Amino acid sequence: MDPSEVEFLAEKEMVTIIPNFSLDKVYLIGGELGPFNPGLPVDVPLWLAINLKQRQKCRIVPPEWMDVEKLEVIREQERKEDTFTPIPSPYYMELTKLLLNHASDNIPKADEIRTLVKDTWDTRIAKLRLSADSFVSQQEVHAKLDNLTLMEINTIGTFFTDSLNNLFKIRANLQPRGESTMSQEY
Amino acid sequence: MTVDKKPIRFGHTEGHTDICFDDTGNYIVTCGSDGDVRVWEGLDDDDPKSISVGEKAYSAALKGSKLVTAASNNTIQVHTFPEGAPDGILTRFTTNANHVVFNDSGTHVAAGSSDFMIKIVDVSDSSQQKTLRGHDAPVLSIAFDPKDVYLASSSCDGSVVVWNISDQVRVTTWKLLQKSSDVSNAKSICRLSWQPCSGKLLAVPVDQAVHLYERDSWKEIGKLTDDFIKQAVNVVCWSPCGKFLAVGCVGGLLTVWNVENQECLEREKHEKGYTVCGLAWHPKGDQLGYTDTEGCLGLLEGLSAGSVTSSKLPSSREVKDYDDLFDDDDDDGVLEDHLSEKQSPSKRPFIEDDDDDDLMPSLGRSRHRGAILDDEENSLDVASVKPEMEKEAGENYKHGPVEPPGRLSYDGPLPTPRQKPFQSGSTPAHLMHRFLVWNSVGIVRGYNDEQDNAIDIEFHDTSVHHSMHLTNNLSHTLADMSQEAVLLACESTDELASKLHCLHFSSWDTNKEWMVDLPKGEDVQVVCLGQGWAAAATNAMLVRVFSIGGVQKEIFSLPGSVVCMAGHGEQLLVAFHRGTGFDGDQSLGVLLLQLGKKKRQILNGEPLPLSRKSYLAWLGFSAEGTPFTVDSEGIVRMLNRSLGNTWTPVCNTNEHCKGKSDHYWVVGIHENPQQLRCIPCKGSRYPPTLPRPAVAILPFNLPYCQVTTEKGQMEELFGRSVLFHKHLDFLEASGYEIDETAKNQAQKEQQELLMKMFALSCKLERDFRCVELAELMPHNVVTLAIRYASRTKRMSLAQRLSELALEKAAELASSCVEEEEEVEEEQEDFRTQLNAGYSRTATEWSRHQNRIQQQPSREKEQANVVEEEEEEEEGGGGEVEVDDEACMENKKSLHKLFNKAGNSTEQSPKISLMSSREGRVNPFKVSATVKPSGLSTGQTRSTNILDNMVKSAKKMAAPVSQTSDKQKSPVLKPLMPKPRSKTQATLFKVSTNKNANKSIDDKEKEVLKMETAVPSPEDTENRKPRTGFQLWLEENRNSIVMDHTDMDEADIIKEGMSRFRLLSTEDRMSWTEKAKRGRAEDPTELKKRKRTEGEEKDQVNGSQADEAPKKKKIVDASAKLSAFAFNKD
Repeated sequence: MDPSEVEFLAEKEMVTIIPNFSLDKVYLIGGELGPFNPGLPVDVPLWLAINLKQRQKCRIVPPEWMDVEKLEVIREQERKEDTFTPIPSPYYMELTKLLLNHASDNIPKADEIRTLVKDTWDTRIAKLRLSADSFVSQQEVHAKLDNLTLMEINTIGTFFTDSLNNLFKIRANLQPRGESTMSQEY
Repeated sequence: MTVDKKPIRFGHTEGHTDICFDDTGNYIVTCGSDGDVRVWEGLDDDDPKSISVGEKAYSAALKGSKLVTAASNNTIQVHTFPEGAPDGILTRFTTNANHVVFNDSGTHVAAGSSDFMIKIVDVSDSSQQKTLRGHDAPVLSIAFDPKDVYLASSSCDGSVVVWNISDQVRVTTWKLLQKSSDVSNAKSICRLSWQPCSGKLLAVPVDQAVHLYERDSWKEIGKLTDDFIKQAVNVVCWSPCGKFLAVGCVGGLLTVWNVENQECLEREKHEKGYTVCGLAWHPKGDQLGYTDTEGCLGLLEGLSAGSVTSSKLPSSREVKDYDDLFDDDDDDGVLEDHLSEKQSPSKRPFIEDDDDDDLMPSLGRSRHRGAILDDEENSLDVASVKPEMEKEAGENYKHGPVEPPGRLSYDGPLPTPRQKPFQSGSTPAHLMHRFLVWNSVGIVRGYNDEQDNAIDIEFHDTSVHHSMHLTNNLSHTLADMSQEAVLLACESTDELASKLHCLHFSSWDTNKEWMVDLPKGEDVQVVCLGQGWAAAATNAMLVRVFSIGGVQKEIFSLPGSVVCMAGHGEQLLVAFHRGTGFDGDQSLGVLLLQLGKKKRQILNGEPLPLSRKSYLAWLGFSAEGTPFTVDSEGIVRMLNRSLGNTWTPVCNTNEHCKGKSDHYWVVGIHENPQQLRCIPCKGSRYPPTLPRPAVAILPFNLPYCQVTTEKGQMEELFGRSVLFHKHLDFLEASGYEIDETAKNQAQKEQQELLMKMFALSCKLERDFRCVELAELMPHNVVTLAIRYASRTKRMSLAQRLSELALEKAAELASSCVEEEEEVEEEQEDFRTQLNAGYSRTATEWSRHQNRIQQQPSREKEQANVVEEEEEEEEGGGGEVEVDDEACMENKKSLHKLFNKAGNSTEQSPKISLMSSREGRVNPFKVSATVKPSGLSTGQTRSTNILDNMVKSAKKMAAPVSQTSDKQKSPVLKPLMPKPRSKTQATLFKVSTNKNANKSIDDKEKEVLKMETAVPSPEDTENRKPRTGFQLWLEENRNSIVMDHTDMDEADIIKEGMSRFRLLSTEDRMSWTEKAKRGRAEDPTELKKRKRTEGEEKDQVNGSQADEAPKKKKIVDASAKLSAFAFNKD
């Protein structure tokens, strides 16, 4: 999957906005939205929130987890543990990127949040690489990875499976020479 | 004692200063914002020695030969004294230190800084540092315990903390002070002080009082207050002997107290009224040096000869002395109560007044809850030790005749300080960044700090207007906004009068603003905007109303000083002080005025209900125009216009709070949908402007009993639904267009709830309750209820309900009649009475109309009802002679008739309603039916009254008046049958009218429909037992047809009915008897039961035969019914 596709999926996430216009319920295929009352928070999908924000029709209320203190805790937790820790939103990276790019004026301490989320992301990707490395080097057959988000899987998924395929081919070519011993090894 | 106040002299440039004496008392050392430390050899020293320590010096402390200063370069420096040579840097902070002190022995220095930290440094070895962290705001002041165990500190976060020095932990924390963001904004620098030598007491300035805390127990054992202290206490300082406490206040008041008996020994006013910010006792205790924020230095000499002597006493003696003082009075060990006990109780409320006043400048107390609790505890203690106190009263007087004995004994209710006027949806005026108003239209924010004095206006809906940014040159403190304008107001200053400033942005000309100066001495206190007008309440107890364009209009006096005001549409709501409240309660009154074309007063200063010990926190209208209030306990009340303008609590916001000190700040109320819009405030009453607070929505909840049970829940839902749709009636009555669909939906919802409650009561076998519920239902729902009851095999209930249904039908009918007759007889002269009831009947009537509209299949039922009523007529007719009471009332109504013939039309339905409600069983009843007499008498009476109606005779059809000649009974007047037949006619008409949008042409349709309706009973006649009327009609049909050959079927029946009713009772009885004989097949069955069954059959037949829509309706109804049955079982 393309990262842009993942982002597209993430745009279905609901965020809270405070509209500055008044509109009755909107009936869409995905469900009804609204009613929009000026000054009253309402939940809309991210794509609409960003669209409205770009037209200066609303303020975006940052998600609850998008807070410096909470993210610091998450980052620390992520650094401390060897496995992946649960993340507040399955689309945290996409949400952060989109919201900070389009609505940084509505999010207090936007820069700090950006850094924190990036740190968390880096830590997790590093973990992922590390586990991929050990997976390959120890020639494991299966591995279990919990709490991975779609975007994270996507960064490594295609490359990793392809490489495993290639590795298998190489190993298979090696096989004729040490047939019996190798097969026992597996 | 005589005090010699020396004239002040300038020491430093303007700004914060500090003062101390050297150990010998030969030098006075001051420091100031010019960055110099000056060493004075007495006040008259013309050439003080200056030591430059930095750009600014915040604080200085002197011990032995070391002078320690906190300077603007964020360091704590040491200089030698008196030479003034730099002796190194003790410690550094990330920002400047605010206060620096030596401990008693001079070994350590403590400093508190704006970076929230306190450091304790060993003077000889500056690497030995201890850091105390825990304050959340700049540290204001610190004080070393003379025993070096504790350190007390006060901070801008509002707390006063006692630390254990060795462990660097908090020992105790009091939330006493008002929060502020920086030292420069703090109301008081709150210099604390430990009692010298023993360190037994810690004196903390808290607003206008000084609190005394006892060491180790950390209980507040007393409070020093004085009526002369009008502003916050800034500095406290113990005399070296520990007996006296010097207090310096904002505004320049200096007082000296004898702490033992809480007597104020000395009050001196600073000659220029500058704020005292530094205070130091001469080591000998006879002089008090002080400095102020303007850089001046002053000295009080000759303080208390007693103190001089006592200061010479060894310190151990001193402590003992102090202990004795407490012990000899009070052996019971209520030590901590003692000081407060000594303080006169009658004085206490005033003290608290001052506290409160100061702390709630615009919107009530922002004081921390803990402190309030403390206070309450304390006052409770006072009360509990009261008898004891009286015993000791004599003793107390010896100590100090502070109060006359008479006042001491008063223990009745004490007056509450009056709450200050405020603007709904504003945060307190003393905040630098505050909301001037937040309402459903938008937000007005005010900024008032060094760089900027500005106002930001922002609209929730940007289509109303774009946001605005104004410089606040006039320093406006009040604001309100509507869809048309923004209204700003400022109080008067020395030069400028109080102004009202209106930004009328919706104006179509080019002048978008106007401004009005108020007369001199008059200050705007509250403003509000309505539709097309603006109002301002002033301290002259006036309300001035302006048009939105700036024309001065109404002006009226308020009965008391204003508290709050709100406008909506044409309504103006004003809350004011009716009088003085007692024991923490406020005594408020409320005015509600209509300012539109027909001006009138709706609420005439009735008391405004508030919770106990609370004050008004919000006052306004819902978006739909119903007045609401919110008090400080979080109770939201709404005006119930239908219950004589009472206030009903509809929500308790505090119930939704997570923490004890959390609050909800209300910003708007909507009735449809039911929304209470408010801002959750964590740990405070008001939201900060930044980060931008988010609005939350709370639901409404009527405080009904047992809302956990299904019954309670539904009752609450029903009650709420009824209450929150009252505004529709109001809007309709005041001529606004209303949303019919919303109204219908509400009615449907209410009917469904009623039906559910009915089903529940049925299940619980509460038949009486069922009937009560059915009484609340409109007629068509009652029929549903009847069906439900009969289906669940509750015959007696079904029967009672059917009686009720009849009653309702009659009511409906009579209201129709009334309506028409009113229309017809409008020109006649009985308007006063009529007008009173007119509007109500009109609305009731319209409601009925709606209901009728909902069920077209009713027509069929109507036909049945015709028969039913006939039956009743028979029963009722037979009873007239028997029922004495009814006769009496008949006479009465007859009497009335003679007086005012017109009125009876108005009254008759009401009477019948009343008597039918009685529902008593008539013991003399002879008729075969098992109906309560009340119902039938009601029927009879109403018909009788109508009989005597001469007025409406003109409306009668000519043939009927002809038949009147044939009347046998002289008592029964010709009109008697008329209302009946007319009722039926109108009923039909109503339904058809509604269906066909009230066009007159539909008369023909009506006739058609009646034809379809009338034959159906005939179709079923062979299955259904006949009534007496039917038998009679069969016989007399020909005669009617002969009389009026041009009549169609429906008219014949009508005519027949009227004639039948004209028969004498005996005749009718005999017809009924005949009918009864005819249907004697199943005598055990109750008549009602048969009727309902018959009705159902009817409907089935009808639906098969008739057009599709009817059928559909019936299916709908039964489907709805089965849904209930399913839910319940």
